[in-house]
Amino acid sequence: MQSTFSGIEIGKRSLINHNLGLSVVGHNMSNASSEGYSRQRIDLSATQPIQRAQLNRSASPGQVGQGVETSSIERVRDGLLEGRIIGQANGEGYWSARDKYIRMAEQVYNEPGDSSVRTLMDKFWDGWQELSVHPSEGSARKAVLERGEALTEGIQNQFKDLNRIRTMLDDDIRATTERVNSIIADIAKVNKEITKSEGAGDNPNDLLDRRDKLVEDLSSLVNITIDDRDPDEFNVHTSGFHIVQGGIARPFETVPNPQNDGLSEVVWEHSGETAQFRGGKMAALQELRDDTIKGEIQKLDNMAMNFIDLVNEVHNDGYGLNKETGTDFFVEYPRVLNALGNYDQTGDGNFDASYIFRVSGSNELEPQAQIGVEGTMTLPGPDGDVQLDYAPTDTVEDVIARINNSSAEVAARINRSNNLELKATPAEDDANPDFVLRDFQDSGQFLAGYAGILSGTGGENGYTYQQADAVQQLRDENVDFAVAPLQNPSGWIQVNEELKQEPSAIAASFGEEGRAGESGDGSAALEIAKIRNQPVNVGQISTFDDYFADTVAEIGLMGEESEQALETQEQIMKDLRDMRDSISGVNIDEEVSQMIKFQHGYQAAARFVTQIDRMLDTIINRMGV
Amino acid sequence: MYRISTNLGNDDMQFYARRREFELNQLQNKMASQNRIQQLRDDPLGAAHATRYQSYGTRLERFQENIEYAQDNYRVTESSVKESVDILQRVRELAVQGANGTYTTEDRQKMATEVNELLNEMVQLANSRNADGKSMFAGTKTDTEPFRAIRGDVEGASGQLITDVQYIGNIEKNQTEIAEGSFMDMNFPGNEMFWAENQQVFSTTDATGYQVQEDSTIRVDGRDIELTQGDNIHAIISKINDSEAAVEARLDPVQSSIVLETTSPHQMWLEDGEGSTVFQDLGVIADGDNPPPQNVASSADQFGGSVFDMVINLRDRLYEGDTIDIGGSALRGIDDGINNVLSNLAGLGAKDSRLDMAGSRTGEEIDQVAELNSNEVDVDMTRAVTDLRMMEHSHQAALSAAGRVLPQTLLDFLR
Repeated sequence: MQSTFSGIEIGKRSLINHNLGLSVVGHNMSNASSEGYSRQRIDLSATQPIQRAQLNRSASPGQVGQGVETSSIERVRDGLLEGRIIGQANGEGYWSARDKYIRMAEQVYNEPGDSSVRTLMDKFWDGWQELSVHPSEGSARKAVLERGEALTEGIQNQFKDLNRIRTMLDDDIRATTERVNSIIADIAKVNKEITKSEGAGDNPNDLLDRRDKLVEDLSSLVNITIDDRDPDEFNVHTSGFHIVQGGIARPFETVPNPQNDGLSEVVWEHSGETAQFRGGKMAALQELRDDTIKGEIQKLDNMAMNFIDLVNEVHNDGYGLNKETGTDFFVEYPRVLNALGNYDQTGDGNFDASYIFRVSGSNELEPQAQIGVEGTMTLPGPDGDVQLDYAPTDTVEDVIARINNSSAEVAARINRSNNLELKATPAEDDANPDFVLRDFQDSGQFLAGYAGILSGTGGENGYTYQQADAVQQLRDENVDFAVAPLQNPSGWIQVNEELKQEPSAIAASFGEEGRAGESGDGSAALEIAKIRNQPVNVGQISTFDDYFADTVAEIGLMGEESEQALETQEQIMKDLRDMRDSISGVNIDEEVSQMIKFQHGYQAAARFVTQIDRMLDTIINRMGV
Repeated sequence: MYRISTNLGNDDMQFYARRREFELNQLQNKMASQNRIQQLRDDPLGAAHATRYQSYGTRLERFQENIEYAQDNYRVTESSVKESVDILQRVRELAVQGANGTYTTEDRQKMATEVNELLNEMVQLANSRNADGKSMFAGTKTDTEPFRAIRGDVEGASGQLITDVQYIGNIEKNQTEIAEGSFMDMNFPGNEMFWAENQQVFSTTDATGYQVQEDSTIRVDGRDIELTQGDNIHAIISKINDSEAAVEARLDPVQSSIVLETTSPHQMWLEDGEGSTVFQDLGVIADGDNPPPQNVASSADQFGGSVFDMVINLRDRLYEGDTIDIGGSALRGIDDGINNVLSNLAGLGAKDSRLDMAGSRTGEEIDQVAELNSNEVDVDMTRAVTDLRMMEHSHQAALSAAGRVLPQTLLDFLR
């Protein structure tokens, strides 16, 4: 038997639920532009009917419905799509960071233009040409000096600019680490609230949206994977670190690394492990700082060091107008003020290493001569030794080319006195010092008896740098060597102060038989001008022209690659986000029609309540009892 | 069906407008700066090529300057040498005239005075300097005059006259680069340019049984000749003959001493290398620190001299009135001098024309390199303007479409 007043109850439910529907519509419309918001849908369904199939049910036909109720309010969302977005966002983060910094590096080179280091160097060589034609003129000497200074300033500025980018990257790494930490702390906090809310049986839609947004932000910074198989514990992993476990966040910290110029290293606080990220902005920053930009600086250093060395080699042999010889054109700062390059590497107060930049053999070689000896030389490489075989039919040039084209961190050339010269290059590994010749040996006679560098064949006669006085183990006292320079030659390269005071000491002539040259002799100046286009074997790059063209092409290609990759990534991300938007985004038209729907429902319910009211009025007031 | 959220249109509009505006901005920058490569990434390989072209262009311009400077030097040299030839011709006329027996001693003395004036003029020409004030015939001793005139009394003449002209320059040649790896002499030592005869040095020291004591070096005309321990005189002679120096050595059959003779008219330049005493031991050069050419041993006999020696000889014969010698050895000496100076002049001309060719080739190359560089870095305006118009149209179309579609919702149609 149905209650007289049950109609009012049905009407009330309808009014309440349609009102709720309108609230959801209002919430959706209000958040139409909120980032990360997914539209919500109210799920209306009929209330449980009042009569159950049991014995005390009334005899009237049933069941009579009891109106409407809200079963849930849910967000409309595609979980799988969300997973793809998280997976792809780190690519976008990676390329956008890389693109930005490579763009900065490109600007440092100033090419092709009138104010690049290359044009300054062109002018420098031109100055020497001028001096070779007018060897006795003061103005030509001044020009060489001025252009030398302009060039060293240019190289120094390039170094400073590149180093500044490196420092910026370091700052960015620290800031990004902070950002990662704050995001994972937020995720952990939201996780706690969500667990609470879900425990109470609610759908914490807005909190879930917030967490999704945080995860997406995080995924552009570092490469992450999500594990939400356990509904009570939401987990985030990155590069093997478990950074969020439900309500617990495990952040990173930055500590200065003395082996890497004191720049920050990212460490996971929980285990103290060093974090090397594989994706996202962080990976780009770490790679740029420790690889790309560092590599650019090393290339510049290598060019500058060889440039200093080559110009000084000729200049030392020449005579100035004041009959002086043996002066350096560029200042050289040795790493250690020790004639044998002895260095205390471990810091225990004893010399335990020899920091030598270059050695040249005591024998004169003919580049085209066949060497007639065979063996295998072992040279230091970026990761372990590099083995190079040579055969009796190889010419000296062949062997030199083989050394220069190998990955060994050693460059070879025939110097002005026709001796074989081995020079150290910057070391790729932070653990090895730059411009220091490390261990090498030869199983045959090439480096030993033929070139006259090593005292003999085999390992026992090899050069070992981790000992004091290592140069004394070399073949004889005719082996020439130079102590390793201070780090970053491109940062300190400078014209000799002595020459600035006394331009007539600039060597333009070679002289004869140990006598100073006459004032009209410009042979040394011409010889220096010739360096510009001679094969100088700066590592794998043979001339200075090659160096400039190669670095320009290389950094340009990196820029091109990053721009294209970024464009592609942006397009992919846009497509994915559009897809997500298509599912979860708010459409006002839709919401307005929903609103009208609920409005009409509400009106109908109100009319229904009025009707019931009238009916009751009839019963209560009009029936003549 | 793909569901469109209200903001999607907006987002799309923003995304594509940003991209288009970026492209427009890039194109506008390129057009404004006339530079196709704003950043290296715009064309990395083109930029690499451009750097090479630009550096090469700078170098070519330097070669051009070097060539012009060398040619300037050549011109001054040529005019001095030509003038010397004119003077020598006049001297020759006087010699022919003086050999004629019909002239009186007084006439010959007048001729001698004229020859003496001409000699003074010639020494001045040989000491001439270029526009920069550098001596041109002094080798690389450009700050000093190459020929030193020594004055003294001459029989039959009054006052101090030039009795000897010594060369005090050196035999070095300063070079300049005129093309990649190609070098050209810029000056010509006076002891070659103004020489008349092959020079001969006869040592008077017996060289039989001489052996080189240790490995050493002798220098002939600036070229090193390596001697090894135990070389005897024959080995030394053959090594000198095998060297690139234009000097021939032989053994004097009478005195068994070494004889050196140039194969082309120039002054011999003999030196012992560091620590060596071979030439000194052979009695060719004197002990002491005198640099060449004033270092020939006093015991050795020297023959063959410069054009100045020839003119001095003629003048002295004219003062003496020795008609046979005037018409004979003196005239022959002048002829030799004219011949050698003329052939040097021809050599100079040949070098000048080589410079001419190098100059015009370099000029052409500069243009080519400039063009290649321009192909790499300059903007193709026609294409840029066409591209710009296209972008403008699409940008406008997109904006106007957005303006029509975006603002409308169902709300506009509800009461």
